[in-house]
Amino acid sequence: MTRRRHRLLPHTADLCVEVRGDDLPSLLAAAAEALFSLLTDRRRVRPKERKILPVPPAPPEEQLYLLLRQALLLVSSERFLVRSAGATMESGSVVVALAGEAADPARHELFREIKAVTRHALSVRRDAGGWTARFIVDV
Amino acid sequence: MRFQDISLRKISDTAWEIPQAGGMLVPGRIYASEEMMGDIVRDEALRQVINVAHLPGIRSFSIGMPDIHWGYGFPIGGVAAMDPSVGVVSPGGVGYDINCGVRLLRSGLGIESLRPRLPELVAALHREVPSGVGSTGDVRVAGKEMDRVLTEGSRWAASRGYATPEDVEHTEDQGRFPAADPEAVSATARKRGEDQLGTLGSGNHFLEIDEVAEIHWPEAAEAYGLFPGQAVFFIHSGSRGLGYQVCDDSLDRMAEYMRSHRIVVPDRQLACAHILAPEGERYLASLAAAANYAFVNRQLLAHRVKETVERTLRMGPRDAGIRLVYDCGHNNAKFETHEVEGKARRLLVHRKGATRAFPPGHPDLPAAYRAVGQPVFIPGDMGTGSYVLAGAEGAMRLSFGSTCHGAGRRMSRTQAMHSARGRSVVSDMERRGVLVACASKRTLAEEIPEAYKDVSAVVDVVVRAGIARKVARLKPVAVVKG
Repeated sequence: MTRRRHRLLPHTADLCVEVRGDDLPSLLAAAAEALFSLLTDRRRVRPKERKILPVPPAPPEEQLYLLLRQALLLVSSERFLVRSAGATMESGSVVVALAGEAADPARHELFREIKAVTRHALSVRRDAGGWTARFIVDV
Repeated sequence: MRFQDISLRKISDTAWEIPQAGGMLVPGRIYASEEMMGDIVRDEALRQVINVAHLPGIRSFSIGMPDIHWGYGFPIGGVAAMDPSVGVVSPGGVGYDINCGVRLLRSGLGIESLRPRLPELVAALHREVPSGVGSTGDVRVAGKEMDRVLTEGSRWAASRGYATPEDVEHTEDQGRFPAADPEAVSATARKRGEDQLGTLGSGNHFLEIDEVAEIHWPEAAEAYGLFPGQAVFFIHSGSRGLGYQVCDDSLDRMAEYMRSHRIVVPDRQLACAHILAPEGERYLASLAAAANYAFVNRQLLAHRVKETVERTLRMGPRDAGIRLVYDCGHNNAKFETHEVEGKARRLLVHRKGATRAFPPGHPDLPAAYRAVGQPVFIPGDMGTGSYVLAGAEGAMRLSFGSTCHGAGRRMSRTQAMHSARGRSVVSDMERRGVLVACASKRTLAEEIPEAYKDVSAVVDVVVRAGIARKVARLKPVAVVKG
């Protein structure tokens, strides 16, 4: 939670995010946390509920895209905000567990509306230092 | 001239060409001044103009307007017209916020008489007009009623007492895309749209009170009902979560279609399907439904603005005199007739961050505006001002009846946040004479005036190119943002 695993890169109109992880599951968990950091101050979100998002086997870029789309839908359909995320991998599938709660206007400032996670310039790279992903959200 | 690996040829004071090369099916055409090109080449927008030129069925040019900037797939400020018999439709050529657009309401009020009541009025509008992330409206629709919204657009609003016949007449396409099919809209999209009608949203969406600061073309201003010193209301919003979901849903189907039909494009976000294929037709049917939702959304917002102003100022409708000038979208794809190589052809025109700008005499214009051309509204940044333009003859020759849609960003949101750090944007705006009410200070920081290009320079290009004519300049006096 305290270790910053994402940063914003320059993009004229939208938000371009770079996330890092030691392995693919931790990369996906970091990406989910990054998405919610764009929406609110996660420190104010209580981990009252868990949501499980299954990500089927696919190329890593596709897994990232599928995960982020599902996560964003939690906000728009259930107003669910995430404090932290964890992930495990089994036979190519990744299961991401999100801890959080429904948005409470009294405690949670919502910074912006994210219209969608896009495939534009979406990438997942593995190197000696671990895994790095980049994605752009339409705001 | 070359920028990075892109070859650019200046063909006039306001137009640049990217010659056809490689897999491009047509050249690129950018409308911009030399000074503006400095900003344009800094991001990926020109590369995206080239990518769009690869799409099957594109005709004449892949076009960039002077407010062009980096989008996903298509650039924002991009126009592309496709031949339906061989061409494709691409959701990336429309955007997530389908039929996002602006409408201008005129009033019978002078801004000076309104000024003492402005703080009260702005507070009332901020309270009464739902804005901000996750805001919900009072009008909830589901089931058959949602079907009617998606099918009938502004006519549904009129049937429920939220619109007058004049409102419908003064909305682009009379507030209804006829190809809409509610069955083509997913249950998720419908669910997202159930409680968002009549909501502004956040980001660059806004409600603004402006003063008509300058009249450039009196005849057109008179036709539009505008006069110097007049208070007008500007609304910018779109199809909300329903539209975003329609776009998102379609991308998977398009990706699958491309795989099965072996369509290769330079960017995955240019996912597309042939217009006449079931996948293309389904997307166009869902797009039309989302566009109709957007028309209703802006109509409900306008209705709430009108009610709030009248109630706050204790005036009747006749005294307040609030009436719709026009409503035009800037994220669309629709069939129109344009001349290509001397022949009239029916084309599917994608406009992503570009506004339809039909000239005087065009049969699709309301009778009241046919002599002067279609009203086009170009919002600038929230501190500087906006323009009312009229579509001109050049638009039909140069840009498939299209013009720009705004100032266009020049600064990323992160840069804007850094730039705004340590100062009060609200106080800055007040010093400029603009009252601000906002749901999120962060949104406000991202939308600081210097984050945008100079709207006057953008408008100057389309005017000099003969695409549009200046009618009036508006000066903001109050802004409500989500």
